[in-house]
Amino acid sequence: MNFSGFINSLRRYDFSFFGISAVIFLIGIINLYSATHATAQADVSSLFRAQIGWYLISLVIGVSISFIQPKNFYRVAYFLYLGTILLLILTLVMGQIGMGARRWLAFGVLRFQPSELMKLFVVLGLARYFAKENPDRELGLKELIIPAFFTLIPALLIIAQPDLGTGLLILLVSFSLCFYRKLKLKTLLILGIIGLLTAGGMYKFGLREYQKKRITTFIDPETDLKGSGYNAVQSKIAIGSGQFFGKGFNKSSQASFNYLPENHTDFAFSVFNEEHGFFGALILISFYVILFYRFLWLASNVTRIFESVVAVGLMSILFWHTFINMGMVMGLLPIVGIPLPYVSYGGTSLLTFGIACGIVTSISNARNLF
Amino acid sequence: MFGEEDLVKSHRARAEIIGNIVMVAFGLLLARLWYLQIFQGKIFYQYSLENRLRKEIVKAPRGMVFSRNNELLIHNTPSFDAVIIPQYLTNRPEVLMKLSHVLEMSVDSIRVILQKNAGQARYRPVVIKRNVSRKEVAIIETESAKMPGVFIQQFISRSYTDLDIGGHLYGYISEISTQMLPKLRRRDEVFYKLGDFIGHAGLEEQFDTELRGEDGHQYMEVDASGRVRRALASTIFKDIENRPFNPGLNVRLTVDRDLQIAAYKALEGKVGSAVAVDVNTGEILAMVSRPSYDPSQFSTGISSSYWGELTSDENNPLRDRAIQEHYPPGSTFKTLTMVAALEEGMIDASTEINCPGHFSFGKRKFHCWKKGGHGKVDMYRALRESCDVFFYKIATRLDMDILAKYAFLFGLGHKTGISLPREISGLIPTKEWKAKRNGMEWQLGETLSCVIGQSYILTTPIQLAMFYAAIANGGKLFRPYIIKEMFSNAGEIVKRGEPQIMSQIEVKPETLSIVKKGLFQVVNTPAGTAYWSRGQGIQMAGKTGTSQIARISAEKIYAKCEEREYKLRHHALFAAFAPHDDPKIAVAVIVEHGCHGSTAAAPVARDVITTYLEKYYPDLRHQIMIAEKVVNPKSSRAISPITPDAGMDTSGRIRNLSDDEE
Repeated sequence: MNFSGFINSLRRYDFSFFGISAVIFLIGIINLYSATHATAQADVSSLFRAQIGWYLISLVIGVSISFIQPKNFYRVAYFLYLGTILLLILTLVMGQIGMGARRWLAFGVLRFQPSELMKLFVVLGLARYFAKENPDRELGLKELIIPAFFTLIPALLIIAQPDLGTGLLILLVSFSLCFYRKLKLKTLLILGIIGLLTAGGMYKFGLREYQKKRITTFIDPETDLKGSGYNAVQSKIAIGSGQFFGKGFNKSSQASFNYLPENHTDFAFSVFNEEHGFFGALILISFYVILFYRFLWLASNVTRIFESVVAVGLMSILFWHTFINMGMVMGLLPIVGIPLPYVSYGGTSLLTFGIACGIVTSISNARNLF
Repeated sequence: MFGEEDLVKSHRARAEIIGNIVMVAFGLLLARLWYLQIFQGKIFYQYSLENRLRKEIVKAPRGMVFSRNNELLIHNTPSFDAVIIPQYLTNRPEVLMKLSHVLEMSVDSIRVILQKNAGQARYRPVVIKRNVSRKEVAIIETESAKMPGVFIQQFISRSYTDLDIGGHLYGYISEISTQMLPKLRRRDEVFYKLGDFIGHAGLEEQFDTELRGEDGHQYMEVDASGRVRRALASTIFKDIENRPFNPGLNVRLTVDRDLQIAAYKALEGKVGSAVAVDVNTGEILAMVSRPSYDPSQFSTGISSSYWGELTSDENNPLRDRAIQEHYPPGSTFKTLTMVAALEEGMIDASTEINCPGHFSFGKRKFHCWKKGGHGKVDMYRALRESCDVFFYKIATRLDMDILAKYAFLFGLGHKTGISLPREISGLIPTKEWKAKRNGMEWQLGETLSCVIGQSYILTTPIQLAMFYAAIANGGKLFRPYIIKEMFSNAGEIVKRGEPQIMSQIEVKPETLSIVKKGLFQVVNTPAGTAYWSRGQGIQMAGKTGTSQIARISAEKIYAKCEEREYKLRHHALFAAFAPHDDPKIAVAVIVEHGCHGSTAAAPVARDVITTYLEKYYPDLRHQIMIAEKVVNPKSSRAISPITPDAGMDTSGRIRNLSDDEE
């Protein structure tokens, strides 16, 4: 690429995805400062710095990916998907145990969770499959057999770790994809009933007591399933006490007295609500909605079905994270360890979202390239 | 078939539906927020100000530890701490002033303590004074209204009945530090909290998971100053349930308390350790190491002066010399050489050599401990009087790897596998080991040092005890164990320690009986090296050992050990079992820089064995006493002891075969 070509590509560059997410990150990092400054559980400045460091890394990786041509994502989709499945199997066999679950894979000093990558690559893999197999037909039960394998293999491997939250997230993401690829309404109903029955059955009979306990203790080592109501209550108190305008920056009493567990990771949104109230939440949620609509707009304005499905898939990853996390801290959903994009502390999730933004930016940039 | 662009456009309807779903979803969340923040906001705001809900950890009592005869060795004693919870501390100067009067501490010192803990969460209690008196408790409780933020907290400290005795075996517990917590959480599946105690060293560490139990928690509604109001009833907390604690398991040890005390007393003023084991089961009967420490001091937060005392002592009282230290076994190893030589058919009853007091090998001269030599020596005399030259002669024909093979068979060179932390394995050299270590070939001269337990050979006291137990019981190598059973508070036995034979050693019964006879003579014939420490009515069989630790020039070899600088004196060892014809107990003793196995180490074993037989086999001991009187009416005091000054059993003088020792 010569210089003028580079300028040209910059002129075509779609800054919206990285831009909007940067705004959300900014809100998140300020909130992180407030959530951690009063506790002695960890070295505050190191958490703060680590989060900024991870964000910059995710930005570099994301932007680099945005310069890759979208057709290359199509080419490597299956390869990445299968490779990550292998990594998941490897994790089960020889992964590192942390907090009672086997999730981490270590290569020398590098440690990462293959389940995070799986979220992205299940989207790429399914999108390629949908682009190739009768992309003009609506989806009935018969057409769903292979996509079901695409989804269930990684989902079950992740649930076995055990990481129920991420496993269910993959199910939701791939369901969202199928819905976009014209899932028949009748099939949707059948799936809905099957889903409800399985979920009910699994909770009642499938999970043993210690499994239930493990899943919940992942979030807070001090609780068991029943005790997890404590977190929910404290989180509700935090959110509710924020009222309309909040108590103000750095004034969260729930967080500073450490009543909130994990207040910089899963419960970051509670601290945010306590300090900035309904008004702050409205603004933060607006930014998420704008971001998601930008994804949907892109999905409808590309020329290839693969790219369109990828855009919806990546959006659904972000959407389900946001919805589940917010729902759980408000006491609407059970507590599973799902972080709030760009607001919760955590390097791996930042990387995932950075890569997602990189892929859609690449797709958007290639739109006018003819 | 339409173009792909049209295909994408045909999905727009679905994209719109998804857009609407997103809107509805966030609408739902906002509605919930509205309900919590606007509709119920005022109530929650009040709650958050008062922090009415407090979670209290209910500590599980740590398991108690009993001796094999159910004497209580380790238990918990409740005491009271005066604490301040900073969150509730209003009117600070006045409260601190009042408290300083009650506790008889200066206001400044209270301030310093608060300052130190300023970093932690404000709801976490800061201990101002541990173990406050009943009077102080009463004053603080009655004056509580005038001292907001000051509370009395129950604290359970760990008490060790016999204080320093057996400190290493039991270990200690101490509070988990903030720095340690994340590491522990990663290491174990147990979830540790700040303020938890964890076992260090000994069985407190090894069986921490079993002993600690599981803490419970309960929720309290408290008023704005942190005083408990009433049991939880409010409907807003309906999801919350308390959890009762799960007490830790109690432990009954294989250890006998009287033997512990006897061994500890016998080692008074010495640096060393003693291990006693039941030869027919592998149960540890006693295991002490000196200098020791008082584990009680740790659970209440060890004082810096005591800690300083422990860490600055150059004899390192924190190290368990029974399993965490190894020594050259010296002549106690000759028993093994003898077994190897007999098994390999190198010697028999007719073997007789001449000991002139030294042995020439190549250009070098190896000395016997006895200046002038023993004269004619057969295999019994070789053990009895610990003749070095006899073993040097064996060494010239014995391959080191064969010797090592027998050492490994008897459990030397490997950990015994006792369930205690940080056991070390000692060292039995092989040719391959040496080649790997420094790329040099094995020297035959080194075998000469090895057969008398010097050179590279290192053993731990517990290995020696297990080795001699295997000789005594006909070749069964047991895995030593210390837990007889673990039981719940209801008395239900959850785990049981069982004898475990690691290997049945394939040696001829004649070999063992010859060796046993030799070991019996060591203690029970006037010329034997341990005759002076034979005791009464115990029929001990054993072997003395004196291991040289520093290289000594030729002219100083026969110098008096006691006249040397302390650090250069020989280690004294003794390994034995008793009674010799029907062994019950095996004992290994090491006294660092004790000079002579016969005078420093053997009396310790004698005392332990005497205590044991007297307690458990009084009839047997009585019979032996009668028999001894008949056989040898003048009994013990008839022959005056060989004075240590005579330079008894200082075998293994030559550690290295360097030329400067010519």
